Amino acid sequence: MKWIPTCKETTVLASRAMDARLPFADRVAMQLHLLICENCARFARQLHEMRRLFSVETDAYDDAKGLTDTARQRIATELQDKLDR
Amino acid sequence: MSTLDAQTWLADHGDYLFRVARRQLHSDEQAEDAVQETLLAAIVAQARYAGDASPRTWLTGILKHKIVDLIRKQLREVALPCDEEGEEAVDLLFKQDGHWAEPLRPWGNPQAEAELSQLRHVLDECADRLKPAMAQVFSLREVAGMETEEICKELGISPTNCWVLLHRARLFMRQCLELNGFSKAGAA
Repeated sequence: MKWIPTCKETTVLASRAMDARLPFADRVAMQLHLLICENCARFARQLHEMRRLFSVETDAYDDAKGLTDTARQRIATELQDKLDR
Repeated sequence: MSTLDAQTWLADHGDYLFRVARRQLHSDEQAEDAVQETLLAAIVAQARYAGDASPRTWLTGILKHKIVDLIRKQLREVALPCDEEGEEAVDLLFKQDGHWAEPLRPWGNPQAEAELSQLRHVLDECADRLKPAMAQVFSLREVAGMETEEICKELGISPTNCWVLLHRARLFMRQCLELNGFSKAGAA
């Protein structure tokens, strides 16, 4: 990796930075690239935005579909079997 | 007491547990299995349930383990990550010299609940469209909020595989979201 990474290399660093603290040299390299590259800066922002959107509590998903009647019935029967044994 | 309890849990919390499972597992069948396994395990474990937590919290705790079990089982069946197909798909997003092939479009900044709800459906659809291994690791990280170390350990995959899967999943997710309505309102 040259001292300023390419866009492709920067996306690897930006992704890893979402999960762990980057080594110092990588962090500097990434920041240098982000300063001069609008696309990658946007990519890095959108990674954070994705995390924010995905981490919404399931309570906010009230309008998502729940168990179907068939599945509910099948599970109820399984529970009953288990309890009768 | 058990019969009543288990059936009551299903009635009161079945939909909720299904939604939690469905956000992390990428098929209805698997999510249904996870709910069933959870309630069956809850029958066995209820003697140990002290009632400190609400039933929903307690059941959700059991569900989390069941979800990881199901994902582990599934990952044994699907081809693992560092395949060439995924690598080629990543290569298509970039030019030979490592620059983006297409400029990234800005995303809107939706505030209205209706719009957010619409975008949540897009999120879920895009997550479902990822390759299974990618989808699973991505959801454990971004939906369940597990640390990557924990994910690697639980699923028995190497950290390098984990990083690669997450990087690819994020590239594809981002692109899918952009193509499906995220870049409409134009701000962020």
